[in-house]
This record gives sequence, C-alpha cells and structure tokens, in this order.
Amino acid sequence: MDNKYLRLPRLRRVYVWELPVRFYHWLNAGVILALIATGFYINNPLALMSQKEATQVYTMGWVRYVHFAAAYLFFFNFLFRIYWGFAGNKYANWKQFIPTSKRFFAEMWNVFKIDILMLKKDGKEQHHISIGHNAMAGFIYFLTFIAFAIQCLTGFGLYADMGGWWFPRMFAWVPSMFGGDMLTRDIHHWTMWFFILFAVVHVYLVFYHDYVEGRGEISSMGGGWKFIEEEVFEEKKYHTPNPRKKH
Amino acid sequence: MSKRIVVDPVTRIEGHLRVEADIENGKIVDAYSSGTMVRLLEEILRGRDPRDAWAFVGRVCGVCTSTHSLTSVRCVEDALGIEVPPNAELVRNLMHCVLYMHDHVVHFYHLHAMDWVDVVAALKADPKKTSELAQSISKWPKSSPGYFADIQTRIQKFVESGQLGIFANGYWGHPAYKLPAEVNLIGLAHYLEALDWQKEIVKVQAIFGGKNPHPNYLVGGMACSINLDDVSGINAERLAYIHQLLKQGKEFINQVYIPDLMAIASFYKDWGAIGGGLGNYLVYGDLPTKGYRDTASYKFPSGAILNKDISKVYEVDLRKEDEVQEFITNSWYDYEGEGGKAKGLHPWKGESKINYTGPKPPFEHLDTSKEYSYLKTPRWKGNAMEVGPLARVLVGYAKGVEEYKAIVDKTLKDLDVPVAALFSTLGRTAARGLEAVLAADWALEFYDSLIANIKAGDTRMAEMSKFDPATWPKEALGVGHAEAPRGALAHWINIKDEKIANYQLVVPTTWNASPRDAKGQMSAYEAALIDTPVHDETQPLEIIRTIHSFDPCMACSVH
Amino acid sequence: MDNEMLEVKKQPTYYEEVIRKGYDRRDFMKFASMMAAFIGLEKSAIGQVAKAMETKSRIPIIWLHFQECTCCSESFIRSSHPMVADILLDMVSLDYTETLMAASGAQAEKSLKDTMKKYKGEYILCVEGSVPVAADGVYCMIGGKTSMHILEESAADAKAIIAWGSCASNGCVQSAKPNPTQATPIHKLIKGKPIIKVPGCPPIGEVMAGVIVHLLTFGTIPELDRVGRPKAFYSKRVHDSCYRRPYFDAGLFVETFDDENAKKGYCLYKVGCKGPSTYNACGVMKWNGGVSFPIQSGHGCIGCSEENFWDNGRLYDRASAFAGFGIESDADTIGKVALGATLVAVAGHAVATNIGKQKSIHDLETEGKASEHELPS
Ligand code: HEM
Ligand code: HEM
Ligand code: NFV
Ligand code: SF4
Ligand code: SF4
Ligand code: F3S
Ligand SMILES: [Mg+2]
Repeated sequence: MDNKYLRLPRLRRVYVWELPVRFYHWLNAGVILALIATGFYINNPLALMSQKEATQVYTMGWVRYVHFAAAYLFFFNFLFRIYWGFAGNKYANWKQFIPTSKRFFAEMWNVFKIDILMLKKDGKEQHHISIGHNAMAGFIYFLTFIAFAIQCLTGFGLYADMGGWWFPRMFAWVPSMFGGDMLTRDIHHWTMWFFILFAVVHVYLVFYHDYVEGRGEISSMGGGWKFIEEEVFEEKKYHTPNPRKKH
Repeated sequence: MSKRIVVDPVTRIEGHLRVEADIENGKIVDAYSSGTMVRLLEEILRGRDPRDAWAFVGRVCGVCTSTHSLTSVRCVEDALGIEVPPNAELVRNLMHCVLYMHDHVVHFYHLHAMDWVDVVAALKADPKKTSELAQSISKWPKSSPGYFADIQTRIQKFVESGQLGIFANGYWGHPAYKLPAEVNLIGLAHYLEALDWQKEIVKVQAIFGGKNPHPNYLVGGMACSINLDDVSGINAERLAYIHQLLKQGKEFINQVYIPDLMAIASFYKDWGAIGGGLGNYLVYGDLPTKGYRDTASYKFPSGAILNKDISKVYEVDLRKEDEVQEFITNSWYDYEGEGGKAKGLHPWKGESKINYTGPKPPFEHLDTSKEYSYLKTPRWKGNAMEVGPLARVLVGYAKGVEEYKAIVDKTLKDLDVPVAALFSTLGRTAARGLEAVLAADWALEFYDSLIANIKAGDTRMAEMSKFDPATWPKEALGVGHAEAPRGALAHWINIKDEKIANYQLVVPTTWNASPRDAKGQMSAYEAALIDTPVHDETQPLEIIRTIHSFDPCMACSVH
Repeated sequence: MDNEMLEVKKQPTYYEEVIRKGYDRRDFMKFASMMAAFIGLEKSAIGQVAKAMETKSRIPIIWLHFQECTCCSESFIRSSHPMVADILLDMVSLDYTETLMAASGAQAEKSLKDTMKKYKGEYILCVEGSVPVAADGVYCMIGGKTSMHILEESAADAKAIIAWGSCASNGCVQSAKPNPTQATPIHKLIKGKPIIKVPGCPPIGEVMAGVIVHLLTFGTIPELDRVGRPKAFYSKRVHDSCYRRPYFDAGLFVETFDDENAKKGYCLYKVGCKGPSTYNACGVMKWNGGVSFPIQSGHGCIGCSEENFWDNGRLYDRASAFAGFGIESDADTIGKVALGATLVAVAGHAVATNIGKQKSIHDLETEGKASEHELPS
C-alpha cells in the first residue's frame, strides 16, 4: 500500500501560538461576542414594561455599560496585538498579515485552489501544510484588523461626547468626518456584520483544518502547540515565510 | 403702445415670484406671473416610505406650516384605508384652525398692511386722536394716548437713525395711500403687537406637534398621547394652556384684526371694484366634524362656482381623471410619452420632469410667448379657478351655510358695499379676515368636543393597526385634501411595494399663480391684474396690492 | 416721496434706546446680564455686554432667500427673548429680507445695493435656503439673476455669514437623494469668509436670536464647533438633555405610538427617535418659548439639525435602509441574508470536502486506526 501516512510519519511539536497570542485570541473572541450581543440589543432593545421607578431599572444602561467596557478591553487588547506583531514569534509577526511579497500572493492563490476550489493535480489531491497561518488566513486577519480599526474609530467617535475622559474625546472628529452621528452609527452597525460572518467562517475553517490535516488545529489555540510532520521540516516546501530570514 | 414693467422680487410674500405687466394708459392690459424657484420634492419622494412623506412635504412650506403634513397623512391614510380616532381628528382640526388664525393675521399685518398703511405718515398722527379712534372701533385695552405716543416716538427715533431697515425704500407718500394719519398709526402699532401675538398662538401647535414651524404629524393619528394622569401626556395642564391660548387668540382677532380690517377697508372701497379676475372659485372642503370621510360634516363646504354665479355650486371629485388636471404648456417641464407637452395629467399620473427653456440669466425679461414659469397649470374640468379664503367664503355663502351668511351679510352691511364687491382685491382681503373669525370660533368648538370626548372615556389618539407595511396591499392609490390658508390643497399618492411610486401635490398658489394654459386662459393672478390702475410705472404699489390679496406662497406653488 | 429726507446721520446706541424707552440704568444692566447669561457667559463679561450695547449702532443685515420654505424666517419671528420687534427696531437694521421688507422689485434691489455699498465689509449676510448649482443655477432666480450670482455678489463684502437652518448649512430636504437641482449649502460655495452654521429645520427661534445677539454684543463670532455651529447650542445631543433619558437607560420604551408605554411617556428610541445622534438644544431650550419640543409631544426627534438627515434612514426606524435594496432592506436584512448564504456555503464546502478530499481523510483515518491497533489496550 502506498499510503504515506501508513509510513507513520514522525510528528514534531511546534510552539506556534505563544501564551500572549492565545490570551489575546480568547479575550478578543469573548469581547467581540459580547460586543455583538450588546450591539444588537442597543440597536433594537426589548420594550420592557415595568412598574418600578425608572431609576430602579437600568437595563439599557447596563447593556450599554457592558458594550463600552468590552469596547475598552477590545481596544487595548487590539493595541497589544499590534505590539505583539513586532515582539512575538515569527508566527505572530505583522508580515504574516500584510501581503507584501509575491510569495504571499502565490501562497494565497495556492490555498484558494486547494481549500476552496479543491483542485486536483494530475488527478491527485494536493496539500497545503502551513505551520502558522496560511497566507490566505493571514490576509483575512488583516482585513479583520482593518474592521477592528473601523469599529474602534466609529465606536469611540460615537462615545466621544458621552465620556468625560480625554481619551475617547480624541475621536470626536470621526462623526463630523462622516457627516454626523447617524451615518457613523450606521457604519459601526454594518461593520458588525463583518465580524459575524468572519466568526462563522473562521470557526468552520479551524474545524476544517483540524479535520483534513489532523494536526490539532483546534487545540493549538489552547496549548499553543501544533504537530508538524518531520518531512515538512525536510522539504521546507510550503512553509510560511520566515520574517527573520531574507528570502 | 403698452410698456412692459417687471416686479421681481415681489416681496412680503413667501418665495420667489416675478410679475411682468404691460401697462397702457395707466392700466394693466396684460400680465404674466412666474415662479422662479424649484426644488422638485415630488422627485425626491419617489421610493421613500409613505409614512415619512408628511415630514418631507411639510418642508414644502414653513409659512403655511403643518398644512402639507396634514394633507399628506390624510393622503396616505386614504390609500391604506386607515380611519383615525376622533381625538386625532379634533387635534388636527385644532392645529389647522390655529394655522388659519396665525397665517391670516401675519398676512394681514406683516405681509399686506404696508400696501395700505403708510408707515411714514403715521408719524404725523395725533396720539390722542388715534386713541379716541381706536377706542371707538374696539374695546382692545392697549389704546391709550400714551401707548400710541410711545410707539410713535419709537418709530420716530428709528426713522431718525437713518437706518430704515425693512421700511427702507417703501412707497411712502404714494398717492394711492388714503388712510388718515391716525389709522396709519393704529396699523403700525398693531403691526408690532401682531408680531408679538403670533408667536403665542402657535404654541397650540407646539403642544400637540412638539414645535412650530413644522410640527410633527403621524400616519394613523397624532403622536401626542392623552394621559390625564401623567405629566408626559396631554393632561389638564396642557388642555388648560391650549384653552387659554385659543381665547387670547380669538380676542386679538375680534378686537384688533377685524376692527383694523374694517377701518382700513372703509377707506379703500374703490378696491372693491379692482382685481376681481376669474370669477371661478374652487373649494375642496375641510374641518370635518364627523370624520374626514363624511364630507357633509365639513365646516368648510366643498364646491365650485363658475362665472361669479353664486346661485349654483358644482360638486368636485378629486379622484375623477377629468376633473383636476395639470398642464405644462407654459411651464418649464416636459411630459413623457404620447401627447407630450400638450396633454393634461390627472395627478395620479402626474410627472415632474424639469426642463428650463427660459432666457439665460442674468436677463431683463422673460420670453412670455413660450414657457415662463416653474409652476404647472392646474385646471378643473378645463377651467381656470381661483382658490383661497374668498373662494371658501363664497362657496359657504352660496351653499347657504348659516355661519357664512351671517358674517358675510354683516360685513357687507357694515362696509355698505354690494355682494359684487366681494369679487375683488378688497373682497379677498376681507374674506381672509372673516375666515379668521370663524376659525377662532371653531377652534374653541373643537376644543370643547375634545374635552367632551375625553370625558366620555375615549383617550385614543392613533390607530396603529395598519402602520406596519406588512399589512399593506401591494399597490394602493390615495388622495388627501385640505383647505390650506391660501386655498384648496391636495396630494395624490401611488404606493407600490411599500414605497412611494408617485407623489404629486397640487397646491393653492399653483392654482392661482400659474402661467396660462394651452387655450391661453390666464390663471387667477394674471386675470386679477388686468385693468388694475398703475399710478406710477416705477412704483408697483397697486400691483403688489392685488398680488398680496392672494397671499402668494411660491415655495408651495412649485415645491 | 423721497426717502432721502429720512436719512438722518445720528445713530443711537442700545443704551440710548433703552433709556429712551423709559427704562433706567438698573433695568439696562439687568437686561445686559440676562443677555450675557443667555449666551452662556461668565459674570465678568456682563460689563462687556453692557458696554457693547451702550456704544454700538444697529448692525446692518442682509437676509437672502434661496431654495427654502421660509420656516427659518418664521421661526425667527417666534423668538421670545429677545422679541423680534425689539431686534428689528433696536438691535439690527434688517435692510433686506424678501419676507418682511416694504419695498418690492427695483426698490428692493436698491435697498440691497445701498447696504452693500454703504456698509461694505460691515454688514452681516444671513442666508436662508440652499443654492441650486445644476443647470448653471437657473433653478433659483431672483430679479433675473441666479441665486449663485447673488450669493457671490453679496458675500464678497460681508463681514460674516450666517447660514440659517438646515437648507443653508446642509442642503436640507431639496438636497435629499437624488438632489435633482444639486441644492448646495453655503459653505461649499463661499470660501474665505467666517460662516456660522445654525442648522435645524428650522432652528429654534431663540437660538437664531441668540446668535445675532452674540454677534452684535461682542462684534465677534460665537465659538464654533468642528463643523462650524455655535457651541452654545449645538454641543450636546438631544438625547443627552432629554427628560425621557431615564427611561432609555432603564430600557423602558414605547413600542408603537399611543400604546400604554407612550401614554406613560417612555423613551421613543424604538419608534425611531434620532435624539441619540442629533446635536441640538431642543431638550434644554425647548420650542416656542419653552412650551414643548418634539419628544415632549410624543414624536421622536427626526434629527432635523443633522447633515443629511433626510437620507439617514426612515423616520420610524433606528437603522438606515440601503438605497436600491427596497425599503425594508436595512443593514440587518442584508446581514441576515449574507449570514444565511455563508452558512449554506460552509455546509456546501463541508460536503465538498468529504467528497473531494476523500482520499486524504481516508488516509488520516487509516493512519489513526493503525496507530490504535499498535497500542496495547
Ligand atoms: C466588534 C466590535 C463592535 C461591535 C460588533 C459593535 C456593535 C455595535 C452595535 C451593533 C451597535 C448598535 C448600533 C446601532 O444602533 O445600530 C453599537 C453601538 C455602539 N458602540 Fe459598538 N461595537 C463594537 C465595538 C465598539 C467599540 C470599540 C466602541 C468604542 C467605544 C463602541 C462604541 C459604541 C457606541 C458608543 C455605541 C452607541 C451606543 C449608544 O449610543 O447607545 N463599539 N455597537
Ligand atoms: C471555537 C472558537 C475558536 C477557535 C477554536 C479558534 C481557533 C483559532 C486558531 C486555531 C487560530 C489560528 C489559526 C489560523 O491562523 O488559521 C485562530 C486565529 C484567530 N482567531 Fe480564532 N478561534 C475561535 C474563535 C474565534 C472568534 C469568535 C474570533 C473573533 C471573532 C476569533 C478571532 C481570531 C483571530 C483574529 C485570529 C488571528 C490570531 C492572530 O492574531 O494571530 N477566533 N483562531
Ligand atoms: N399655496 C400654499 Fe401653502 C398655503 N396656504 C399650501 O398648501 O403656503 Ni406656503
Ligand atoms: S432649513 Fe428647513 S425650515 Fe429652514 S428653510 Fe430649510 S426646509 Fe425650511
Ligand atoms: S426619547 Fe429619544 S432623545 Fe429621549 S432618551 Fe429616548 S432616544 Fe434619547
Ligand atoms: S427633530 Fe429637530 S427640533 Fe429638535 S428634537 Fe430633533 S432636533
Ligand atoms: Mg405638483
């Protein structure tokens, strides 16, 4: 039988996601889910009926409070991740996200053919084995970061006149740039949908990679480890570009 | 040889009106009226939510503010088969009456008075004599000699400052001014008082609609809930406030406006034979007392009069394809499809495709042999019609409605003029005053009905069961009408897939100020100007008198 | 008659006016301090206000009307403090306004020219309405000239410009999509002049009067915010000063008009109130001498002082509709469709994976099973 896996390849453990990245990831996932949930509520709250004094109920107040608290966490967590893009390991580096080289695009195209179009070569299935993100994923995260930025700008722009702190006030120019709070709010709202769609596709793809590659993709965001075939180390074929090394 | 003169801008009106008139031997022999500003709101409404239309069309005009919003909600309710609760009807009536009171007073003092009152001559009045005169025509308390003396010195100082402001370059001293100095002073004093008064009466609209100008309306009723047990709703305090305002409003109309009107009119009886014009009058009717659908219950009865023949009043049907139609023969528009510019369109099929073909500005004269205005030309069964207070008073009078008969007959008797004097510039101005009196009375009636209704336990203010677009038919046609201060107003809507497919307004000033039609028939302004004497070709005082008697609103007319 | 006779050179000051009207110095100071408080000044500035009013003559004002509905003029005459009769007679010299001026036609045009010449560089230009720039400006003409032309002419020598209302400051209803006449606000046409935007459809009468009072008392422009509105009246959102705000925070909302919650005066957010995104003084100053404001009378704020408010979504919805997607297509409808499509695509991809990558999945399973066998149980 010419089944390469029956040669029972030796898997090597690689420390892909350092603790700060993992921490960032789960905090990020958590606050985004909270922001989406509270955001929906803010957009279209339930019409409560209450016999209590208005001052004793604070439903909308709490929902908004959670939104704003989560927003701060989200923002500083995001800042931290940008920092870690320079300080972290090669899999966390900013070059993983920004399409700069021809190689990057070539890899994206390759991933597209294999994972999305499922093209075969000479009648054979193909594999794209990356260790950190593949280029396609990296690029999607790049878009995600842009959406993060939009959300923070519009969010803090809307918040600017609510808070007393100088920090959100710095964003007061945002709504006037968009011709008012209403459009700013709409942009903020529309961008939320990007996160929802991203989360669905992202979680699916994590499961997909786990399933078709069998290298512990899902758990990697838990422990940080991925399991990589020895031959990958030998072939050095489709490995992620190493930012520390000039290609 | 006739001479063409131009009056542009015509001021003390709403908006941008240009009049060109040919004068021969001191009389106008031909006249052209042109609206020179357009916004195309009918185009802007396309594709929007019918429930929002009231806010858009409300902005057609801030002078007859609320009229278009009222007409719009009626129009959408007609299309969707919504019947509003009696309280909402009463509140709408109340707000509408208040608009009449406000608009007519402001027109009389601030837009029309200076055509009859010589401000500068008022400085020569004797305050004591003025006071005596004022007290002889009205029991209005503010008429002491000191009061008039104060006003006079204030104006004296103002004039001496050399900065004449709004009074600069007026037609002061023109021989057509005929009032004794004392009447001029009364007029001037009340100009200032009315300025103060007008901001009070509109508070009624603010209480129900949140603000004025441009109060809020709602398809299905009104947004101001009644709750006698809550500070947020229409409660006893709000109602008492309204009552107070209505009483004060009525007092001013009866004790200031009407006596002034009568005093001034008595010196200008010659204007009871000038400016008659068409002699065709059209009224859609308004102020329902048993629901908008029950046209027989209207305080303003509907109908049409032709050729000054008040022995016959014709029925009017806004849904009939061949009754109300708009023509564009001399207007800066195009119609698509068969028939092109030559055809008339019922508003349900109306179009508003702009096409300016006039001279390139800056220009001296319009080419009145072709298109010369942004107004379309509405016709009723092909007839040019005059709309407005005079039309309403005549239809009410012709229909033998007691309230109209009493007040019209009394006025004619007091002024000692025949019925025929109504068909004139003076008649128009007088009719407006009479209407203000009626509106002030009716407002109090509606107020009482509102109280009675609430007392009887009905506190509903809006019918919301058909507010959700999901409940609407796929297609619907509607027409809503009102009697705006300046005359018969209607909006027509086509709703398709929850959106406005077409929305057309045919507005009072469009009836009156439009260019002539394909048959060369003049509309009301042009017709009324014919034969008007002009003493001095360089000073258009007589022209603006007749034009002002219609109370032009050009923003309305073109929209 | 000739008006020249009336042109007397002496120009009385406010102080003289007030004293002449029979008030004494104490009344005058009271009025000055009220004015100062009204425009939000410290106590120390009262003297300055009083001084300004004692020594200045009436500011000439040219008030132009373009594409508008005259509701701004109407609102202006609703001002109760100061009252308009007093503004007109004692504070400013309203030399041109088509709505109120006695003169028409050539005489009106003369008034305009006279003031532009005599008070070159000193007059305040007030503009009500937007300027249509389509078709070379023919959609608004006065005296045979386009509004564009008239604006340029009269702005050239103005000391400052006030853009009244949403029309002049944002374009208002006639600039709503598709803006067929290309209605344009003033600041987009006139550069290099101080422009005060006083948005609102219309603005509150006392706000309009307040802006004028500020100008004439200090001879300076009131402090403006980032988009050119006086901070005194436009720095807070209606929502931040709304008396229904506790209900908002509590989550107590009106669901439909005239329901139980509406009768209790709950928050109007769910029936489309745009108060949270609208900068205006309505909640504090209210309308028509403080009688009410939209929310107090049960209707949501429609955002009438915001740029573009006619296209910022429907009146009774919080979210904006997407043009071209049908009226019900707000962002969420599109989002839900996209979400559905994504889920379908994901499911399709999952199925395709199991077919297309059958071999490698099979390999992985085989490998897994082989390993399982090799391990002792
Ligand atoms: C993934 C990130 C975020 C999502 C998905 C999200 C979602 C939402 C949504 C859906 C709304 C309701 C808007 C509407 O009425 O249609 C909202 C409102 C708001 N968000 Fe966010 N948001 C996020 C991040 C932020 C951030 C970083 C801030 C910064 C402070 C922020 C501040 C606000 C503010 C101020 C409002 C308006 C709340 C109000 O006026 O009551 N948001 N958000
Ligand atoms: C069951 C839930 C999730 C799992 C198992 C998971 C797992 C992972 C894994 C394994 C990666 C790295 C893989 C790769 O680069 O392709 C990753 C990256 C990432 N995930 Fe998730 N994820 C989950 C949910 C979410 C959610 C809800 C969000 C936010 C909406 C999110 C945002 C991200 C981002 C932004 C990255 C890039 C990380 C970086 O900065 O390097 N994840 N996730
Ligand atoms: N013409 C007109 Fe109006 C009125 N009255 C309305 O429909 O003024 Ni603006
Ligand atoms: S801003 Fe509004 S109120 Fe003022 S003129 Fe324009 S439409 Fe009228
Ligand atoms: S009614 Fe409007 S402005 Fe007032 S609290 Fe509610 S959302 Fe805010
Ligand atoms: S609609 Fe306008 S009037 Fe005030 S409350 Fe909103 S800004
Ligand atoms: Mg029309």
